[in-house]
Amino acid sequence: MLTVTGLNAFYGRAHILHDVSLEARAGEVLVLLGRNGAGKSTTMKSIIGLVRPAQGSSITFDGVEMAGRQPHEIARAGLGYVPEERRIFTDLTVMENLAVGRQPPRDGLAPWTPERLFAIFPNLGRMQDRPGGRMSGGEQQMLTIARTLMGNPRLILLDEPSEGLAPVIVEQMADAIAKLKAEGLAVVLSEQNLHFAARVADAAVIIEKGAVRWQGTLPALENEPEVKAQYLSV
Amino acid sequence: MDFVLIQFLTGLSSASALFLIASGLTVIFGVTRIVNFAHGSFYMLGAYLAWTIVRAFWDWGGREPYLFVAGVIVAAIVVSLIGVAMEMTLLRRIYRAPELFQLLATFGVVLIIQDATLAIWGPEDLPLPRPPWLRGFIEIAGSRFPRYDLILAVIGPVVLGLLWLLFHRTRFGVLVRAATQDREMVAALGVDQRKLFSGVFFLGSALAGLGGALVLPSQSANLQMDLSIIAEAFVVVVVGGMGSVPGAFLASLLIAEVQAFGIVLLPKITLVLVFLVMAAVLMVRPYGLLGKPQAHARAQSGMVEPVLRPAPPILAWAGIAALALAASTPFWAGAYALTVLVELAVFVLFAASLHLMMGPGGVVSFGHAAYFGLGAYGAALGLRYLALPMEAGLVMAPLFAGLFGVVFGVFVVRLSGVYLAMLTLAFAQIVWAAAFQWVDITGGDNGILGVWPSAWATNKSVYLWLSLALCIGATMLLRRFVFSPFGYGLRAARDSELRAEAIGLDTARLRLVAFTIAAAAAGLAGGVYAYAKGSVFPTYISIPKSVDALLMVLLGGVQTVTGPIVGAIAYHGLFVGILQTTQYWRAALGLSIVLLVLAFPLGIAGFARARWERAKGLEAA
Ligand SMILES: Nc1ncnc2c1ncn2[C@@H]1O[C@H](COP(=O)(O)OP(=O)(O)OP(=O)(O)O)[C@@H](O)[C@H]1O
Ligand SMILES: [Mg+2]
Repeated sequence: MLTVTGLNAFYGRAHILHDVSLEARAGEVLVLLGRNGAGKSTTMKSIIGLVRPAQGSSITFDGVEMAGRQPHEIARAGLGYVPEERRIFTDLTVMENLAVGRQPPRDGLAPWTPERLFAIFPNLGRMQDRPGGRMSGGEQQMLTIARTLMGNPRLILLDEPSEGLAPVIVEQMADAIAKLKAEGLAVVLSEQNLHFAARVADAAVIIEKGAVRWQGTLPALENEPEVKAQYLSV
Repeated sequence: MDFVLIQFLTGLSSASALFLIASGLTVIFGVTRIVNFAHGSFYMLGAYLAWTIVRAFWDWGGREPYLFVAGVIVAAIVVSLIGVAMEMTLLRRIYRAPELFQLLATFGVVLIIQDATLAIWGPEDLPLPRPPWLRGFIEIAGSRFPRYDLILAVIGPVVLGLLWLLFHRTRFGVLVRAATQDREMVAALGVDQRKLFSGVFFLGSALAGLGGALVLPSQSANLQMDLSIIAEAFVVVVVGGMGSVPGAFLASLLIAEVQAFGIVLLPKITLVLVFLVMAAVLMVRPYGLLGKPQAHARAQSGMVEPVLRPAPPILAWAGIAALALAASTPFWAGAYALTVLVELAVFVLFAASLHLMMGPGGVVSFGHAAYFGLGAYGAALGLRYLALPMEAGLVMAPLFAGLFGVVFGVFVVRLSGVYLAMLTLAFAQIVWAAAFQWVDITGGDNGILGVWPSAWATNKSVYLWLSLALCIGATMLLRRFVFSPFGYGLRAARDSELRAEAIGLDTARLRLVAFTIAAAAAGLAGGVYAYAKGSVFPTYISIPKSVDALLMVLLGGVQTVTGPIVGAIAYHGLFVGILQTTQYWRAALGLSIVLLVLAFPLGIAGFARARWERAKGLEAA
């Protein structure tokens, strides 16, 4: 569904991503694993177009080339992006935040409505008129995902959804991701938390210093203690 | 009591007009992050267009109120289309350029519109004929108050209400509010920024045009409307908090009332008063009454300032050759050339001093002319009140400017970005207002005359050599300063405040010292200029003068040390050589600015260096 090949990215003159390649399949959860500063967020930002992929990089979504397009075009093609810093619109209410994310329905998918989203994230339903700035970190994390879903994406990029959340909320997050997968969405998430990843993901890509070091299924990763020890802080 | 009420109502009606303009400006800034200098021009166009359209409607259907309203609305729509045209043809290409380039590009548009208006409507003030219903009065507490002003006073709150509905009840409005906080995130959610930006320019320009059309009956359309309103509108936007419409409303009330009462109580310092209010608010609330610090504004741009390098030897030799050539002019050129060269030397120093703050210091001063003017006035006042000779005057100039540099700098270095630019502008306007309004001391508009050099320097050749020695010498000192350990510290503070402080640099103090040195250097330039001209005037401190300095630096390129020198020469050459020979020199200058910004977002010297480096293969692969 999403195929990244030979992705290179720079911040100014600093070369951050080196020939990253990965593939995300429909109905699957793919996890990008790696330590702080490995390049997970940069990979996601390059896919959504917030960081410009260097010449020669290829990012195809359903066979259509996305590299070099504007973020809004990529989002409209059906790629949803949930940033690491959440980036909630703090002055806007929950309903208004959702309204910003709204895009037309997509063929073959039941369109997301606030009601359907509140079924997955019940907390949000109870604070529809609350400004985003007066919500807890966990609630904001729910809202940022719900907001992106309003665009009816077919693949969603989740940048460290469990970061900084209490264990109970992390559980809820894992349930929510499972529900999205059941809806037929493809999910690409980035994580440092291997336990969380193991709960939700089908396949993994390990990134270190901006390059892919290992990829395979999660059960396969479980059998490779050296890989885990070398690249992940477990 | 009656008097208080009447002044209060007068304040309310001017607050309305101010709010219309400022709300448009603040919405545009909030979403696009562009400080739109041309907003004042749209206001002016609103007045001129209303003058034409309303009169046409009246000729056709009689001087009816509803035709006035229709004319005002049509004028506002025409203005909004002009605003959208500017956004689509010019600004869209430079959204990623540095803030200052955008500002200058819109200033170029100001100049173009000024000359276009002059060409279309002529230089006369154009009052709207006033039928009886426009002339009526209302009895309030025993005094007569113009009915139209009362209507104006109501329009402000009504427009605030309508804008509130727009921003809370429509998708466009919600998107505008979201984009004001984080436009990149809005784009990542699938919203086409270009449409949003055009929409915002439509709305903002319509508000400016409406404001201009509505003040027409009580003022008349004239060519000074643009710059006089834009300075005030900036103040309102900054005091209210950039991007905040309710903030703009509060601030326009505050500013308009300060003016309404100030003009009665302290007529001599109304202008100073307005800017003092602004400075006071910014000291207590650095982001304005209802503003917030801007997260994510530029965080993702990934721009890295290039390293400053000393000039290659070939450039140094070229400089020495040029200096020798300049010094030898008395032997082969006429008096006019000497005059031009003195000015050139002055502007090289003026530009270099601004560059010290903008480039290595990262402090974009929008009111650098203040220090130039303070230097000139320092010398002139020294002569007038202390009978100081030229030698002492030229010492006085940098001291005087440097002293004010310290005082203003203390406040300025605490801010950053647009707020900083606006505060420097405000300080410059205070100095200008003092020079302009404080007639007893400064001579006001008539300036101070008779500021001549000492006997030994009256000869034009001698004065040229003196100017070259002082100005070029000071410029070389500034360069030395940039490459000294202090200069490295300054650049470290610019590139990463946190990291610079982590290694023990006191960044605010570094900036303050740089600000003071830059102010003193500009003051010296002003002093040399004063003795060259024999007089000083408030225009030395005006906004266009500050823009001149910015243009010189940007033309040359902020990112090289040679830039300001090249820029000053190119700008002055352009100005003297070509522009002053045409009647529409403003439009020619404006067009040059716009084209230069589009063609060389790095400035001429920056462009040349990029070329040079590419040729030598230094560019990273
Ligand atoms: N805006 C930026 N400018 C310059 N360098 C950056 C920028 N953002 C990230 N980097 C650098 O790029 C590299 C990769 O960063 P990235 O944010 O992609 O890592 P990450 O894997 O998401 O880490 P984390 O788990 O901490 O979120 C890091 O070395 C980081 O310092
Ligand atoms: Mg990250």
